[in-house]
Amino acid sequence: MKLKIEAAGQLTSGIRKFTLAPVDGAVLPRAGAGSHVVLEIPGPNRVWKNAYSITSAADALAYEIMVRRVEKSRGGSAWLHEHAKVGDVLEVYPPQNLFAPQRKAKRHLLLSAGIGITPFLSYLKLPGLAYEMHHCCKPEDETAFRTLLPSGPEATLHTSRNTLNLEALLKRQKLDTHLSVCGPESFMDVVLATAAHVGWPAAKVHKESFGGATGGEPFVAHLKRSGVKVNVGREESLLDAMEAAGLTPPCLCRGGACGECKLTVLDGVPAHHDHYLSETERAANNAIMICVSRAKTPELVLDF
Amino acid sequence: MSKNRPVYEPFALEPSGRAHLVVTSLDAPPEGIEDSFDNIEVWTVKHNGPGVPVLAAGGVRPFRSTTELLAQLGHRLGRETAGLRFYAIGSEAFIWDAYNIGIVAGLHPSEISLHRAGPLVRRVYCSHCRTMIEGVPVNIVSCPSCEAALFVRDHFSRRLAAFMGVKVDAEVPGEIPAAEVFTS
Ligand SMILES: Cc1cc2nc3c(=O)[nH]c(=O)nc-3n(C[C@H](O)[C@H](O)[C@H](O)COP(=O)(O)OP(=O)(O)OC[C@H]3O[C@@H](n4cnc5c(N)ncnc54)[C@H](O)[C@@H]3O)c2cc1C
Ligand code: FES
Repeated sequence: MKLKIEAAGQLTSGIRKFTLAPVDGAVLPRAGAGSHVVLEIPGPNRVWKNAYSITSAADALAYEIMVRRVEKSRGGSAWLHEHAKVGDVLEVYPPQNLFAPQRKAKRHLLLSAGIGITPFLSYLKLPGLAYEMHHCCKPEDETAFRTLLPSGPEATLHTSRNTLNLEALLKRQKLDTHLSVCGPESFMDVVLATAAHVGWPAAKVHKESFGGATGGEPFVAHLKRSGVKVNVGREESLLDAMEAAGLTPPCLCRGGACGECKLTVLDGVPAHHDHYLSETERAANNAIMICVSRAKTPELVLDF
Repeated sequence: MSKNRPVYEPFALEPSGRAHLVVTSLDAPPEGIEDSFDNIEVWTVKHNGPGVPVLAAGGVRPFRSTTELLAQLGHRLGRETAGLRFYAIGSEAFIWDAYNIGIVAGLHPSEISLHRAGPLVRRVYCSHCRTMIEGVPVNIVSCPSCEAALFVRDHFSRRLAAFMGVKVDAEVPGEIPAAEVFTS
């Protein structure tokens, strides 16, 4: 669907927010709390497809998103910061939800850091949600984030890791509480490790990861059924390379989170960078999430 | 044995837990569990035990009946915090009653473990008048409320923590086979 940038503005020096409204009064699909949309971002040489969490309420008339400018961005977030302007029309895929609030939870403990706040902003707009939220950010961003959170005791901002006593916080939660976490990998790793350490069962801990793709050694992907060999360069993902070669492999989030792009590996060893496959599946090395993962061997033979 | 009969593992404490609450319909906890971990409390049922279930040495709290124990359980779990592992040991009816209270309190199935112990008796649900019949040792029982002669099927309802009892002579009225003692 086509959405127009209706408003744009800086939230912090590194985060820009956008309001995306339907063109010609079209009806916007409902976006439940935790959903994201994938935007097509027109680069000079190619189109980027990036996922952004929707921060507005489910029934809002426009989607709001917040985009952090990634330091070594090869395109998407840099374009949204430098070139995107009010009035631009973008191709946007309908919302997907990989991080809906846990229905079984009577209470929610929400922990985020930096841009990881975005999925929770839609949670906070759910009427009657019982939650306790802790958000960590840089001291210079405190004022900006403060404007996004309710003023009551249910949401606390931390500008230094020292003020957040994770272990004590996790230990005092009631049995009917689920933990959801979103933020940089290092932050999520600490939260997950602390939760496991104080006895939280994995089934009550939920996280949303924003990606994790990096470049790496070039390799060749041999798509057996298509009868095509694709060169995957140092700075592109396997999914990007396949699309550039005119193939249309399945994909949704393009960030290693949804599971849609899984392909069977017939030969070669994948280098897993996703957040979807289980440890056992990883070790078996016979499946790969092509949006973020690469190869340890010079060639991968895939069933596609 | 029918497919919906739950399968139980032997009792063992979960090392991933920070605290452990063990409830049993028997009068004593499994041997030696008090000293296996630090933070353990055990609830037992001692008929004709002390009136007030005070916590005795070794973290054991004796209740006078399973009814009294289960009535306290919800309150207790409501005050507990994350990291607790919950165990129920005893008759199938008791452990599933305890399980259902645990789920309502917000425990996830992975935080609960159930273990069958004690006499092989069943709680039977009369599917004709909805009466619960406790402690049934054989597969033919007469419903105390509607007087139907019931055959106890191997069908176990986790929600009711009971086995289904259906009219024994449903096919040939008046024909009642000999009762068999439960072996599982
Ligand atoms: C479910 C979900 C929700 C998200 N929500 C938000 C949000 O609310 N706000 C936000 O700011 N971001 C969010 N993201 C991250 C966002 O989609 C982008 O990944 C991020 O903005 C960086 O985009 P970029 O084009 O600037 O970065 P680049 O890093 O240049 O990435 C473009 C894509 O290519 C991959 N990639 C990166 N480097 C390489 C490389 N060297 N070789 C091969 N592939 C590479 C990455 O997977 C990336 O998706 C979300 C991601 C997911 C999966
Ligand atoms: S597209 Fe979602 S995991 Fe790859």
